[in-house]
Amino acid sequence: MTSEPGADPATGTPLSVRGVSRRFGSVQALANVEFTLEAGEIHALVGENGAGKSTLAKIVAGSIRSDSGSMSLFGQPYRPTSRREGAAAGVAHVRQQLSLVRGLTVAQNLQLGRPGAPAIFNAASARAEVERWSDEFSLSVPAETLVDDMPLAVRQQAEILIAVAWGARLLILDEPSSALGPLETRALIALCHRLRSEGTPILYISHRLPELAELADRLTVLRSGRVIVEGADVRAADLREVATLMIGDVSLLEVNRPEIERGTSRLTVNDLSVSSTQEIGCHGLNFEVAGGEILGVVGIAGNGQDSLAKALTGQAKLASGHVVVDGEDISGSARQAIAAGVAHLHEDRSTGLAAAFSVADNATARHVRSGRFTRFGVRLADKIARHAGELVERFQVRPPDPAARASSLSGGNQQKLMAARELEKNPTVLVAHGPTKGLDPEAAKAMRDRCFAAAQAGGAVVVISADLDEVSDLAHRVVVLYRGRVTDAFPIEDMTSERLGAAMAGLTETMGATSG
Amino acid sequence: MADTFLGGDVGDAPPEPLEDEGRRLTTSLSTSCLAVLIAVVLGGLIMLMSGENPLTAYTAMVDGAFGSKFALGETLSRAAPLAIVGYGTAVALRAGLITIGAQGQVVAGAIGALVTAQFFESAPSAVAIPAAALGGALFGMAWVLIPALLRAHFSVNEILSTLLFTEFAALLIEYLLNNPLKPPTAITPQSDPYPDNGILGLVIDGTRFHVGVFVAVAIGLLFVWWVRSDRGFSYDLYGENPNLAQSLGISGNRVIVNSLLISGATAGLVGWIQAAGLLQRVYVEIASDIGFFGLVVAFLGGATPGGVLVAALLFGALQSGGLAMQSSEGIPASLSDIIQALLLLGFSIRYAPQIIRLTRGVMANFTLIGKRRK
Repeated sequence: MTSEPGADPATGTPLSVRGVSRRFGSVQALANVEFTLEAGEIHALVGENGAGKSTLAKIVAGSIRSDSGSMSLFGQPYRPTSRREGAAAGVAHVRQQLSLVRGLTVAQNLQLGRPGAPAIFNAASARAEVERWSDEFSLSVPAETLVDDMPLAVRQQAEILIAVAWGARLLILDEPSSALGPLETRALIALCHRLRSEGTPILYISHRLPELAELADRLTVLRSGRVIVEGADVRAADLREVATLMIGDVSLLEVNRPEIERGTSRLTVNDLSVSSTQEIGCHGLNFEVAGGEILGVVGIAGNGQDSLAKALTGQAKLASGHVVVDGEDISGSARQAIAAGVAHLHEDRSTGLAAAFSVADNATARHVRSGRFTRFGVRLADKIARHAGELVERFQVRPPDPAARASSLSGGNQQKLMAARELEKNPTVLVAHGPTKGLDPEAAKAMRDRCFAAAQAGGAVVVISADLDEVSDLAHRVVVLYRGRVTDAFPIEDMTSERLGAAMAGLTETMGATSG
Repeated sequence: MADTFLGGDVGDAPPEPLEDEGRRLTTSLSTSCLAVLIAVVLGGLIMLMSGENPLTAYTAMVDGAFGSKFALGETLSRAAPLAIVGYGTAVALRAGLITIGAQGQVVAGAIGALVTAQFFESAPSAVAIPAAALGGALFGMAWVLIPALLRAHFSVNEILSTLLFTEFAALLIEYLLNNPLKPPTAITPQSDPYPDNGILGLVIDGTRFHVGVFVAVAIGLLFVWWVRSDRGFSYDLYGENPNLAQSLGISGNRVIVNSLLISGATAGLVGWIQAAGLLQRVYVEIASDIGFFGLVVAFLGGATPGGVLVAALLFGALQSGGLAMQSSEGIPASLSDIIQALLLLGFSIRYAPQIIRLTRGVMANFTLIGKRRK
């Protein structure tokens, strides 16, 4: 099989899409799309959630068919009827939800379903092949570790590696960086550049604009299924303008920070320590947050953020110290925290929502065991649906269907649903952990506005984030976490990348107590 | 990679699907129906291969399961304990706990009921019967208490511990029926006859339709209430997403212990019904395979009230119909066992990903074996 990258005589344009349309029910997902992927380029396909990027990717990969239009692949007419056919023609589609079998090793995944793989699994040769490719691209993908036990970034590398080993001549990466941290994203970019230099063109789907400048050669903007810009030179493009084209609204990226009146202290964290077996925990934290104030907690992921979020919301057993909300000690009791009006936007929507439950059940879950919406201990489905309907309307969850499963919503709407549950009433304290992570600009703006609104209503807001833009958009004041300790604290005006970098890398003298 | 099959119907704007693994244990009745269909067809093929006419066999089975007053009584009396175990197991299953200890809890419940009934031997039936039921339920709960506490406080895998306690129960009953509980005259291991004042009477003479069927109905209604109740919802929420439930102030330990105790209590009640209603004596084999099939019923029924009921009736009918088929047509009842086994297989394929994950979870408990994973 032709598994050497670049060895294939790529005659003709790698991919040409002509007049492709696709409709799902009443939704025109793609309308007359014209698109060309040139040899040796990384071509970014950008657009909001729902713009049709993934539909186009699936049509190219063969998993769905277009209603009309034609495609050609390396100069040959190309009309795949299945993903398998697409793969056989050399198109590999690495999707948001990785498709490796989690209970198998990388070597096993390499051979599983591989076109022309021998019926009997040869462990030694599969391992050798994984190692060879891993070396080739200077990765460290372990051949014989279960996929389940590998970090997300490595899984993704493994999937790309497998695609290349299977002889991919054209790679589609669908939102590959949405779950990656900054360092991991850099590694991914390096890998993409490496693949490009080996002659594999890449179609890179994303709505994270900043990284594209570094990554891609050209970009195409999709909006509501239509190509707005085709193949613009990334270096020459003004990303601000691209964002405008994506969403048709300039104000979204320019955060208007509202004037918020500062109240008295509402949240007091006193000598807080949490010991955790899973992460670093936190050690001797002291800070106060006033009503109307937004405190940003920054740091590289895994430096105690999870423990802090859990401690502030009463979910962690404290090794020492207190978390006091409006004079009431809520340490170690989620129930008390909720009663005291503490709201929590979970970092991960998969832990923050009951995915298989309905929108109504999720929206009202904060009332569980409160006696509300029940009679004789039985839940009143009508009342719950009605109340949820109002919440969903207020928080603009789409579709506004209380009976829909939470898992059927898009990421942005899941986040809004979580906000609907937590922010039904103005919180005394809002702990927002990565509130805009992975969201498209419109949803991210909605979440920022929720944080501002909570502060404006007199709540103390703590934004925990590894995304510096998110923090600088929101926070009045910043504390930096490093290995579970506060290494620096300053008002947002004093934030410089040098100071932040030093604190996040633990190069600043550890500060014992910090308060604003 | 194998998602060619999933091709066509994927909508636009892919929602970032959240993992809903927990729930996958308890949903999708349609696949259960498919498993049943496949089992029936495969069972028919096996009959053909062994020279039996599947039509005759299935007709005889249906007839033997539903064709007469006796048949119906037999089906219901076999379905009742399965349903009761199924409902209790479903509570735990919905809370994300895989208890497979019902078998041992039935045995413990039978012992508890017998001992309690013997204590109340001279009391009026109105006292003795409820007391024995309570005794059975309490023994069933006691039998799951240690696994429950271990799971709650030390994260000890409940699959292992409840299975282990089933083994303990088997050993205990063998000891008891050979020694303290064995009447001096008995040759085989068995207890004294169940005290008369505690016997659950037959509802329709000439059948084995006994009061236990009504207990099953009552437990079924309780389960319907549970599924709709706020408390039940909080347990379901824990099963679906423990982190979220705990962040909403639901105590995980309480959910674990209580839901396992509920499952133990229902299994214990079945022990009481077996001893006081059907066998009227305690034997080593008192639990038959009810505990295990009750689990299957809970899984196959998707842990929902209607699903568990239908699955229990199905297995009750297969068992009574199989025996009837043997006596009327001379076709071995083991063919019915094969169909039940096929059902089990069908459903285990349905749950293969979960089972693999569970197995790995269990394996990881043995660090030595876990090391294999490098």
